[in-house]
Amino acid sequence: MSMRLQKQNGEWISRDKPVRFSFEGKEYTGFEGDTITSALLAAGVKVLGRSFKYHRPRGVLSFANHDINVMVTDGKDTNIRGDVVALENGMQLQAVNTDGGVIKDKNSYIDKISPLLPVGFYYKAFHKPLFLFPFWEKLIRKSAGLGIVNFNFPRINKRKLNAHCDLLIIGAGPSGLAAALAAASNGLEVTLVDENQQIGGSLSYDHAGSDANRKLLGELLNKVNQTPNITVRKGAYAAGYYADHMVPVVEAGGITRVRAKAVIVATGVFEQPPVFRNNDLPGVMLGSAAQRLISRFAVKPFNKGVVVTANSQGYRVALDLLTAGAKVAALVDFRADGPRDPLAAELVRQGVKIHAGHCVYEVVPSADKLGVKAVVICPFDDSNNVVDTARSITVECDGVTMSAGWAPAAALLYQSGIGMDYDNTIQQFVPSRLPKGIFAAGRVNGVFSLENRVADGARAAAEVLRFLGKSAPEVAVGKHQGVSPSHAYPIVPHPKGKNFVDFDEDIQVKDFINAAQEGFDNIELMKRFTTVGMGPSQGKHSNMNAIRILARIRALPVEKIGTTTARPFFHPTPFGHLGGRSFHSHRLTGIHAWHEAANASFVDVGAWSRPAYYQKDGLGKQQLVQQEVMAVRQAAGIIDGGTLGKVEVCGPDAALFLERFYTGRYADQKVGESRYVLLLDDSGVIVDDGIASRLADELFYVTISTSNAAAVYREMQRWLQIWQLNVGLVNVTGVYGLINVAGPKSRDILQPLVALDLSNEAFPMGSARVTNIFGVPVRLVRVGFVAELAYEIHMPSAYALPMWKALMEAGANHGLRAFGTDAQRLLRLELGHHMPGYDTDGLTNPFEVGAESALHMDKPFFIGQRSLQIIAKKVLTKQLVPFTLAAGFSGEMPMDCNLVMENDKITGRVTSIAYSPSLRRVIGLAYVAPTQQALGTEFQIRTDNGSLVTATVVATPFNA
Amino acid sequence: MTLMIKTTPVSYAPLAPSMGELNGMQVALRFDSESIENARKSVLGVTDVSCFQRFSIKGSQAASWLSAQGLALPPENNSWTQAAPDTLVLRLGASEYLVEDQYHGALCQRLRTFDQAATPGAYHVQRGDAAFVLSGSKVLDLLSELCMLDLRDSALPAHSVLMTQLAGISATLLRQQLNGETVFRIWCDGSYGPYLWGMLLEIAQELGGGAVGLSCHYQ
Repeated sequence: MSMRLQKQNGEWISRDKPVRFSFEGKEYTGFEGDTITSALLAAGVKVLGRSFKYHRPRGVLSFANHDINVMVTDGKDTNIRGDVVALENGMQLQAVNTDGGVIKDKNSYIDKISPLLPVGFYYKAFHKPLFLFPFWEKLIRKSAGLGIVNFNFPRINKRKLNAHCDLLIIGAGPSGLAAALAAASNGLEVTLVDENQQIGGSLSYDHAGSDANRKLLGELLNKVNQTPNITVRKGAYAAGYYADHMVPVVEAGGITRVRAKAVIVATGVFEQPPVFRNNDLPGVMLGSAAQRLISRFAVKPFNKGVVVTANSQGYRVALDLLTAGAKVAALVDFRADGPRDPLAAELVRQGVKIHAGHCVYEVVPSADKLGVKAVVICPFDDSNNVVDTARSITVECDGVTMSAGWAPAAALLYQSGIGMDYDNTIQQFVPSRLPKGIFAAGRVNGVFSLENRVADGARAAAEVLRFLGKSAPEVAVGKHQGVSPSHAYPIVPHPKGKNFVDFDEDIQVKDFINAAQEGFDNIELMKRFTTVGMGPSQGKHSNMNAIRILARIRALPVEKIGTTTARPFFHPTPFGHLGGRSFHSHRLTGIHAWHEAANASFVDVGAWSRPAYYQKDGLGKQQLVQQEVMAVRQAAGIIDGGTLGKVEVCGPDAALFLERFYTGRYADQKVGESRYVLLLDDSGVIVDDGIASRLADELFYVTISTSNAAAVYREMQRWLQIWQLNVGLVNVTGVYGLINVAGPKSRDILQPLVALDLSNEAFPMGSARVTNIFGVPVRLVRVGFVAELAYEIHMPSAYALPMWKALMEAGANHGLRAFGTDAQRLLRLELGHHMPGYDTDGLTNPFEVGAESALHMDKPFFIGQRSLQIIAKKVLTKQLVPFTLAAGFSGEMPMDCNLVMENDKITGRVTSIAYSPSLRRVIGLAYVAPTQQALGTEFQIRTDNGSLVTATVVATPFNA
Repeated sequence: MTLMIKTTPVSYAPLAPSMGELNGMQVALRFDSESIENARKSVLGVTDVSCFQRFSIKGSQAASWLSAQGLALPPENNSWTQAAPDTLVLRLGASEYLVEDQYHGALCQRLRTFDQAATPGAYHVQRGDAAFVLSGSKVLDLLSELCMLDLRDSALPAHSVLMTQLAGISATLLRQQLNGETVFRIWCDGSYGPYLWGMLLEIAQELGGGAVGLSCHYQ
């Protein structure tokens, strides 16, 4: 039976654009502009989902963008929010969280055994006996959750943008619209966001049978459309508040991070359900939900309904129902003096029976338990929360609307650091203290009459103008008059329960009472024990009632209970939105294209991508790495070292700076010479090492390991600020390319290319010169990290690729072969060089790795020196030693990080280990106990399979 | 004198532009026909200008040395000026300057005579930038995804230099007029060049633009 109404003035659907879709296998037609929920209700479908825990049938509750019981899947995406997502042609939808469909859900039996499953039961039930826990865990994991994650979900790029404005207004109801117009008319650039597909807020649905609000909305929209400095974002929710007035605004296409000079929060209020037995049946909904259905989507919520109210809103809802052609079988007002409401007379005139001082004691389900058959109405003393069940009456109906009050949609205000007080005149938390640049307006600010809400928007805009240094007149806002818009305690007790407070998690009144009895009587503890407010709607319809119930249990005023923490995001937000485009920044050397063409296998080192080794058909990684190593040992190898950090230290105090920064001595270093540098932190722990080449009296060229480059440069800058030396630091990491040619044939390759004499006598280890190769100015440094004979060539990075190609050509007849970082690590291991980060950790000091020769303790100062002086007086607890395994070892190969054992005691760990093809045995470095460090000492390494392998301490460089 | 030709830090693959040489560096002159590139440029064109000549200097005496060379310097930190018809001077902080010759500029060659040893308090800063020109009507749309700062005319003074984060990396950015059009200039460390070029191009192509060769802007 179609529930679609005749055309409503201001409806959001386009009747000339039908949309066909299916739900649970049945075909339906809605209209463009419908949400999934509105289209289904219009088609007469009432049961739209099953509850999370008890699998109770559910329909619409709030229809205010947080109806978590109406979540569907299209087979690809899951947990599609039915009340929010627009209907699309061809959608094939199923409700989530059912086994066998929403009508015949096999898990609906859980509702029958719900007395056995009170909140917290699984905390207590499944942790013993311990051996059964895996069984229960598996069962619970299978049963829990809503939709099923599709791990094959396609990646759809959702852009994350940045936008700026003078004033961001969140919420485009009457207050937000008034604020926008007032601010924009004074020259501010205003961005107005609203989560709904159309702006206007309650003006678009709350009519009380009149056209006055529609008329006002039309006027406001007309003005907004004619104001160019107002940018409207519809279908966009403000997901959170972050420092400096940054608010992520989520739309279907992505997230925009809006930064504003000021923010007005005009987010309004969430309608709160009264609590009575079976208040969750399909057909029972909030009054504002019914109004939205009627006005925005032209859907009649039911044919004959009962209006339950504890405030004046129910009277407005009843008039809208009547206007829509629905029968109102009764209006049940918790308040004894309800009929004094100005709208009551009109309802009576239209034949509506008003039951003041009554409550709905329970809703009677239909025979199939899938809808409403009737309600049981009883006299109710709302001050003392007493129901007179002896005088109950039953009224038949097929639907119920509920209006009991409101809770401020203040999540963003809380996140901004607001202070809130409880206002007893309106039974609502209202802002008492606002951070700078944050303003509240409208119902979230405790202002309820329409006239006052419009004025409050203008008042907030005037305050923003003054905050931004402009002049603006004071705007008076009238104080709240009359009865409270929210009831102080709209909770109807029932001995059989099923009076739901939280519809996300199926939490009933008795669950709160039980939680308090168990000692969880603090709102934060109660939240976690009962899980109230922890479902997808995050307590938007339940937190306020939970606070009221706890306050009643503890006999405290509501303000003493407080509220729970409101965290971003305001609504469930897809991970795709949060991820946005993948910005995985990475650095490449100028030679990268050559490496790619040479089929390099790359490894990430810090931000850089480096060749680990070069792949060749038919050969495995180990084989290739060992071939690269042998090329360096027997002929020559070439490696791209452009990723190394490089810093120029310039100025009269350059040497003094290095003396303080590093452990070595540099004041007496000659121009044309390079020296080892070792950096410690204040506690004497090894941070980094490298080479400092003195290229001129006042110019040192320092290399830093790849992954530490940025951190070490930052430290240099920091210490320079502290020391105030006459030094200039220039980070040239990306500016200079670096090519290392190593191996016995390296000199033969390079000598013809440079005017320098590269002989050992003229250019020994530690030499550094500025020269030319192929006419390119280069810095040539003789180093010994991977081979006894090796040269680093530093050149402007734009020349790195042609230089590399030219060197490859020059070395072709000498067996020159490119090698990667895997071979580099093995080559340096063969020479016995430790690598900070590989062979050291965040606690390693220089004494433990045998780096005493790099320490010049007699200097006046270097970073970490004072700590080393203390450490030097203590007994070492570990020592890095070189070791070998037995020649021809063929057992379980130890790995990096395998433990060194002495009997059953752990005494250290392996830091580096590999088979050396040139030495034809397994070599490595390991931390051992000081008692195990002597040459020739044997120690045990425990491998991954638990076997023990004997290693022997040897001297470096390793020998075959 | 080297016979080696410098390579741009940018990797054009898989595009196959027609290449040329400027200032000793290979650079893409055209990615497509003139009409297509002009259309692209008007929507969102990304051009590699890493080949422009640059000279950078820092230190307490950097300003006085540059002034002595006859350069007009930006009076404020993080601002730029046109030192000659085809040369920009960017002030990157209190005491650091970047001079960049545009297509027809020739000032940097003269500045490279700088003798650091003879100029106490001034240090030559080697540059290896990847540099780009962004043009077209959707350039702010692109930049709004990469940069959190407000780059609209109303918020960015005409001669401001921004040293900020673009797509997660450090970059320098300014707005200038080029052949009567408003364009944005971006500089980043050359090692990030392939990454930033890729991101700029990916977004530009989504927005209806794409790669534009040097010839499209400069003749």
